[in-house]
Amino acid sequence: MLPQSISSRASKLSRRDPTAPLRHIDPVLIGCTVVLSILGVIAVYSATRGPGPDFSKSNLYKQSIFMIIGAAAMILCSVVDYRKLHDWAWAFYGITTALLVLVVSPLGSEVNGAQSWFSLGPFQLQPAEFSKLSLIGVLAFLLSEFRGDIDIRRLIALLATAALPMALIMLQPDLGETLILVAITMTIMLVGGLPTKYIAVLTIVGLIGVVGALNSPLLADYQRNRLTAFVNPSDTSNASVYNIEQSQQAIANGGITGQGLFDGPQTKLGFVPEQETDFIFTAVAEQFGFIGASTMLLLYGLLCYRIWRIAQVAKDTFGTYLCAGVLAMFAFAAFENVGMAMGIMPVTGIPLLLISAGGSATITALAGLGLVLNVYMRRFQ
Amino acid sequence: MDSTSPRLRMNLLGVIIAACFIALFARLWYLQVLEASDLAVQATANRTRTVATEAPRGRIFDSKGRVIVDNRTSLIVSIDRNELKKVEDRDDLVARLADVLTTNGAPIKISTIERRLSDKGSDQLQAVPIATDVTEEVIHRLSEYAEDFPSVTYERKTVRVYPYGTAASNVLGYTGRITAEILKKIEPGTDPDGVEKTYQPDSTVGMAGIESTYEKELRGTPGIELVQVDYRNRPVGTESYQPPKSGNDIQLHIDIEVQIRAEQALVERLDVLRGTAQRDGTIRGAPAGSVVVLDPQDGGVVALASAPSYDPQEFAAGITQERYNQLQDVNGASALIDRSITGQYAPGSTFKLVTAAAALSNGLIDGNSSIYDDGVYRVGNPVQEFTNAGKEKYGNVNVVRGLTVSSDVYFYWLGDRMDGTTLIQDAATAFGFDKRTGIDLPNESAGYVLTKAEKKALSNKYPDAYPNGEWYTGDNVQLAIGQNVIVVTPLQLARAYAAFANGGTVYQPHVVWKILRPNSSTTDPSDVLRVIEPLVTGTVTLPPDVRSPIASGLGGVTSGSGTAASAFVGFDQQAFPIVGKTGTAQVDGRADTSLFASYGPALSPRWVVTAVMEESGFGAEASGEVTRRVYEVLANQALTGAGTATNGSMD
Repeated sequence: MLPQSISSRASKLSRRDPTAPLRHIDPVLIGCTVVLSILGVIAVYSATRGPGPDFSKSNLYKQSIFMIIGAAAMILCSVVDYRKLHDWAWAFYGITTALLVLVVSPLGSEVNGAQSWFSLGPFQLQPAEFSKLSLIGVLAFLLSEFRGDIDIRRLIALLATAALPMALIMLQPDLGETLILVAITMTIMLVGGLPTKYIAVLTIVGLIGVVGALNSPLLADYQRNRLTAFVNPSDTSNASVYNIEQSQQAIANGGITGQGLFDGPQTKLGFVPEQETDFIFTAVAEQFGFIGASTMLLLYGLLCYRIWRIAQVAKDTFGTYLCAGVLAMFAFAAFENVGMAMGIMPVTGIPLLLISAGGSATITALAGLGLVLNVYMRRFQ
Repeated sequence: MDSTSPRLRMNLLGVIIAACFIALFARLWYLQVLEASDLAVQATANRTRTVATEAPRGRIFDSKGRVIVDNRTSLIVSIDRNELKKVEDRDDLVARLADVLTTNGAPIKISTIERRLSDKGSDQLQAVPIATDVTEEVIHRLSEYAEDFPSVTYERKTVRVYPYGTAASNVLGYTGRITAEILKKIEPGTDPDGVEKTYQPDSTVGMAGIESTYEKELRGTPGIELVQVDYRNRPVGTESYQPPKSGNDIQLHIDIEVQIRAEQALVERLDVLRGTAQRDGTIRGAPAGSVVVLDPQDGGVVALASAPSYDPQEFAAGITQERYNQLQDVNGASALIDRSITGQYAPGSTFKLVTAAAALSNGLIDGNSSIYDDGVYRVGNPVQEFTNAGKEKYGNVNVVRGLTVSSDVYFYWLGDRMDGTTLIQDAATAFGFDKRTGIDLPNESAGYVLTKAEKKALSNKYPDAYPNGEWYTGDNVQLAIGQNVIVVTPLQLARAYAAFANGGTVYQPHVVWKILRPNSSTTDPSDVLRVIEPLVTGTVTLPPDVRSPIASGLGGVTSGSGTAASAFVGFDQQAFPIVGKTGTAQVDGRADTSLFASYGPALSPRWVVTAVMEESGFGAEASGEVTRRVYEVLANQALTGAGTATNGSMD
């Protein structure tokens, strides 16, 4: 015989639907997300406040606003049953693809040589970020429809679907975002049951493609330099080598315990370029040291583990593929962004999701996590 | 399980992602733990720049504790270029600054300011000096209206000041802005951006004399400020600051009073002689000369005069190329050469001391061995004739009389008898000739005393300059009277006479006596950091049967029939007897080099005084006169004037 209080609560619960989504939210995923988001806001502020004494707070406010909008997007993406996305996937894909077309038209604006943004007053909208989610949606849709039965025709359909946004993004040009789409596509196709022989062929074609692209006039010199800087770190004529050197010195400067919040001299004095976005990891590592940076990586790893786990417990393959896509989006961002800052990956600017400054990326990341949560919450329905 | 199974594929994905994260951790560990110290050093070097503040150099005292090199504060107005960039009406500011400087005693043109501002050579982080040595009024005005002069700063910098003017300038040397060559010499291989670096491109460094040889003592430790800069090299704060520390003070053996007397006597006598005719009718150029005063008991340099000379103050302020060129040609001689240590002259009859010592100590003669001097000495076949100056006949001459009247024939005879040996050369080497004395001043010459073998080697090496490598008896005969195959520096000559005076000890001459604490008092023994002890570099064996005949021969020089008697008329030798030797070295086509080497008082020698004067005539009439006037100060006797250009005894 149970005590009164427990049996009454049990009876209360039993009166409700045990499969109700709200009973199955993932506290670990939400916890990781909240902590990383707060860390991100702090990191962005520390990287942009300047040496003082008049500290700039505009990026602090902006990033906070993005987090709030992102939280709303996350909630929205988790409350509407993800299976409805099954029907809306093409619509989203159509919209984001249209935006990608518009952004390379005169309507878009150019920053640092890439026409990737729509200017909306003080904010910039980067449609490539949203296209990540819509591509995940549409690929998950296709693969769940194919039910593991993929022939060459279907493969071409999949590749074509993925290639369209990639091509549009290369027009901007934005190599980093394109590479994320490649990672997402490869991951979903891997999980989605693409026959091993196709995977082998695609890998070989991909490798030839990379080597070919590096040696072709398709890439501008600066892009080639950035991509190869990590291979040849002593080439001082390569400006990217300088950036990587500065970045690694800043990380080393953090040591084990870090220089302390707002006390990272390399960060404070602006030696590392793009340190609120592409090189945000240096700001974290210099200020919080190995303890702080590895904790951040652990949280990131834990987040990825939860997404991976949710992909496995999803009720249907569509849910699994959605989660695999989001997992690819996070894991690749972490590996490329952090790896670049530490000199083991090519220099190509992609944001460290939840940590780097940037509205579109932050909102997309949180929305993606909302979808994963969505899948998890509805695993019994 | 088939290879497309979602479970297998998810596990594969998990492994790939886990591997990526492990790679990130490994790299992070490597950077932040294993390599952290190396990389962090690079990071520090990146974000900091060193700004050095010169420390005041140590002061220099003379042997009596008088300050002969001091420091004073110079007010410098500068512009901070980083701040100037922020000034809106920049041209107006420059114009107003020019106006303030001009109306307050430091006239300057706007174009001059602009030129200094655009000087790429100066350190971008340091303010650019616009005007130096401005008046207090300028500073007063600028600080009063500080808000009207943004970016304008002023600083107090210490510069050298010389209370005794040009006195001892050849010894003291001067300081100047460091050159790339000196920087390389002082700090070979130093990383130009290294934190430890103590010299900056605009550092002051000793360029000559004591300022140069004792650079390490005199130069203080610069104040080092580690300025934090941002990625555009703009200063944002101070990471650390270490204030400057003054350099050590130095006390010299130089007695500035004796030094001034020596310089004055030398210059005045040169002026009197210049343009007059010596006995054979050759016009005296009298361009240059030197006086050395040594303490024979420890090698201390009491005075070291060289003419022509320069004003070190001109270098303290920064000298123009035009003025520098002028200094290199004063009456046909460079003012920048210290003739007392760099000049090389045939010693003439002053060398007879060495020849006599060689002959006496090797038993060739004794004090009584005499020959008949008929004015001419003949050697060889075919016969070669060597004569006394003016073909003077001295009759019966022994070594004592030979020195007193300076009979060349007697010494030709000694030279002839020692031909085929290196007895004279060996004695010369024992007295310290043929090698540098090791004095603590730069650019000393070594002189030379040739042997038969050396003459041959020299001819083989430089056949154009020395076509004849044969050693003739005539060479040894001439060596015996200090001609032809020998040159010495005035300092070497003084040291040889010092060795004779003290009984045979050859000291290394030293200008510096003591190293003192910064801002020291010369009367407080606890301020002495270090005493430069006398250094014996050799000895000459002078038993009484060698020393006495020479001493009595030299003792007669300054009186009676002595060659320098005329120079010492009126000097109280009862109170202060002087032992010495005149020398007149022939130079082709020019007036003779006049030399006089001496010490006194005779029985307890306290000072050695030598004078060497170029193109000035016989020993007594130029150098003897100068030496006598130096002794007037040393012996506290009545001071006399420079005299007139008379013809003294020949030698």
